[in-house]
Amino acid sequence: MDGPLHGVRVLEIGGGIPAAVATRWMAGFGADVVRTEGPAGLLTSDEETYLLAGKRRIAVNDRTLLALAGRADILVEDGPPGVLAARGLAPGDLRRANPTLVGVSITPFGQDGPYREYGHTNLVAHAMGGVHSLTGTPDRAPLVNGGSQAYTLGGLNAFSAALTAYFGALVHGEGDWLDISLQTCGASIMELYGPRVEAGGHEPHPRMGNQTNAHWGIYPVADGYGGVCCLARQIPAFFAVVGDPELQAERFATPAGRLENNDELGAMLYGWFGTKTKRELLELGPKHKVPFGAVLTPRELLGSASLSERGFFDTVATPDGTARIPGRPFLGLPWQPGALSTPGADTTGAISDWGVAS
Amino acid sequence: MKKLPLAGIRVLDLTMMWAGPFTTKLLAEMGAEVLKIESPRAWDNIRTLIPQPGVEDPWNSSYYFNEYNRDKKSVTLDLAQARGRQLFLDLVPTADVVIENYRADVLDKLGLGYDVLRKQSPSIILVSMAGFGKTGADRDSVGFGPIIEQLGGLASLTGYGDGIPMKTGISYGDPVGGIGAAGAVALALIQRQRTGKGCVIDLAQREGMAAMIGEAYVAASLRGEDPVHHGNRSPRWAPQGVYRAAGIDQWLAVSCTSDAEWATLASIIGRDDLSGLDLAVRRARHDELDAAIEAWSSAQAPQAAMVRLQESGVPAGRVLDTVAVHDDPQLNHRGFWVRLPHPRTATFRQHGVVWRLAEANPHLRRHAPLFGEHTREVLSELLGLDEAELAELAAAGIIADAPINPGVG
Repeated sequence: MDGPLHGVRVLEIGGGIPAAVATRWMAGFGADVVRTEGPAGLLTSDEETYLLAGKRRIAVNDRTLLALAGRADILVEDGPPGVLAARGLAPGDLRRANPTLVGVSITPFGQDGPYREYGHTNLVAHAMGGVHSLTGTPDRAPLVNGGSQAYTLGGLNAFSAALTAYFGALVHGEGDWLDISLQTCGASIMELYGPRVEAGGHEPHPRMGNQTNAHWGIYPVADGYGGVCCLARQIPAFFAVVGDPELQAERFATPAGRLENNDELGAMLYGWFGTKTKRELLELGPKHKVPFGAVLTPRELLGSASLSERGFFDTVATPDGTARIPGRPFLGLPWQPGALSTPGADTTGAISDWGVAS
Repeated sequence: MKKLPLAGIRVLDLTMMWAGPFTTKLLAEMGAEVLKIESPRAWDNIRTLIPQPGVEDPWNSSYYFNEYNRDKKSVTLDLAQARGRQLFLDLVPTADVVIENYRADVLDKLGLGYDVLRKQSPSIILVSMAGFGKTGADRDSVGFGPIIEQLGGLASLTGYGDGIPMKTGISYGDPVGGIGAAGAVALALIQRQRTGKGCVIDLAQREGMAAMIGEAYVAASLRGEDPVHHGNRSPRWAPQGVYRAAGIDQWLAVSCTSDAEWATLASIIGRDDLSGLDLAVRRARHDELDAAIEAWSSAQAPQAAMVRLQESGVPAGRVLDTVAVHDDPQLNHRGFWVRLPHPRTATFRQHGVVWRLAEANPHLRRHAPLFGEHTREVLSELLGLDEAELAELAAAGIIADAPINPGVG
């Protein structure tokens, strides 16, 4: 069965991580994703393996690129503001020439404003999004989240936004141009900590390390790290599993009491978690309906029975062997794993299929 | 005026907490009509997660709830009662999408699974977004965002370099799952537009998180590698770090991705003697360079230092804390922070639309609804219920203007 994006033409003007992430799932769901390479070295070899599988990789001049843009349903780029226009591909012109086109520009700070020309790395973009200030311990520098989360989060937003706009184009007959700023992607997910300072006029929210409070965090366990996240309604079940009669004391019975005695509670839980293995926690969780976790590495997760049963991983042949990578983001729509191509290898086929003269 | 992409789309929203409501916030911003459906007895606990002592109706005045539920309509229906379930089923044919983030087994146990919904409307789209999916050995696990970070692999990648994994400062699994689910809705609508058929989406938030670090799965599967923590440093260039700036807990993120950027930085920090170091040496002497950078940065106001470095061609950013981010010149230039009047609270600056469509220009339209504010409007306009029927429903506790059990949270 064809994927929901079968026949949809996506032009990725590469491109670093944000653009590559935005179009990766489009390829799996059936779109014909054609990618031009960006400056060398923007993606590591592992990032290419993960993000470029299923895409056609072309090398064309800007005139051909312009012709391809005229045939595209969706165009995604993550270059600096103005660069597309300087290459003869001004978004306004492309939209006029191709009224159903959905264009997506992903930049660190957006297409306008005082920072629009600023240089960036994932670290810099992450710092400017707000979440960075909340991660890490109060006695050390704010800590960047693992991987390349500022870039990847921008790509994820661009994916969902582009398809929403594409649906709009199908229904209403008109495309649009998305101006996605990585900074706003971060600043929109500050959970309660964003509005809290506004609503209460408080100081900046501090970094909380691994325990937001004693029953919401990560602890050392017998064979690594694990954790728990309990709302008030899950506390009784959690305390029952821990089993220490002291937890039934009046001072731990209410949210306010637990907060007041957070250090004592944390010390008790520290002791208890140290006696448990990751596996034990993961078995106790569903049995008692307590949100337990364990810090698992990708290597451990590649062996997860649940993920295998759900067919989560795709395989990709690479020059260094077969990689297993996160596949379809959800079940319910036809998904096709893709193969990894090489730069420029698909130029002739792609421009011919798109009806563009070379 | 140009139509928003989801104009004309109606969503029955059974989600609670943060992941699902984040999805439906995005759908509402894109023009969908979102009916947030809560039972008077089992309502969205996020409303009272933050204690508000002395407030008469705290379920209406939480900034946490109000920021992530704006542009939605609030409808109460007790799905544990047969009449409530029937009214929900009656709404299904009027809608395009049903979305829920209950634990995997809950919707089916309510008798509202996909097979039941499909009988009401063959083209209905059901999006389920349980933490670990509707199938698989882990389906009965329960978890919030930080648990998803642990069990999706992200926590294992984050750390200062002392071997201790770190959680992110937020429930990151929630918005990641939420944004992905909004993409799932779009894809399902596209498929329906092309085939006329609905579908059921089974999104596991844990899988969405794993997809945010796909390259680590490549390293693990090809070379058996476990994550190495780099703190704020880069495995690719040096120096890079987050350096103390003047002020209380103020910090500056700086990256030198090339020899030229390093030479510029070395000059700005008054260490021209170090400007000729090549990458290998900069890596080997990273601690020393960090100390040299911090000797300079700790006396600099973070905003001015960022501007100076950027204007000199060195990638740098202020680590914007939760106060500074609201005052940031760039975000304010973009009109990102918005004050929405709300009948129960003072206005505060909340985040605006991230998916900035240049032509349709989406913007926030209305504050988060009061509890049950639109129940009567929706049930009378969509299902034709009259005053007497609405009164009966209220008497039976199937609909309500306030939680029936406000102490539960």
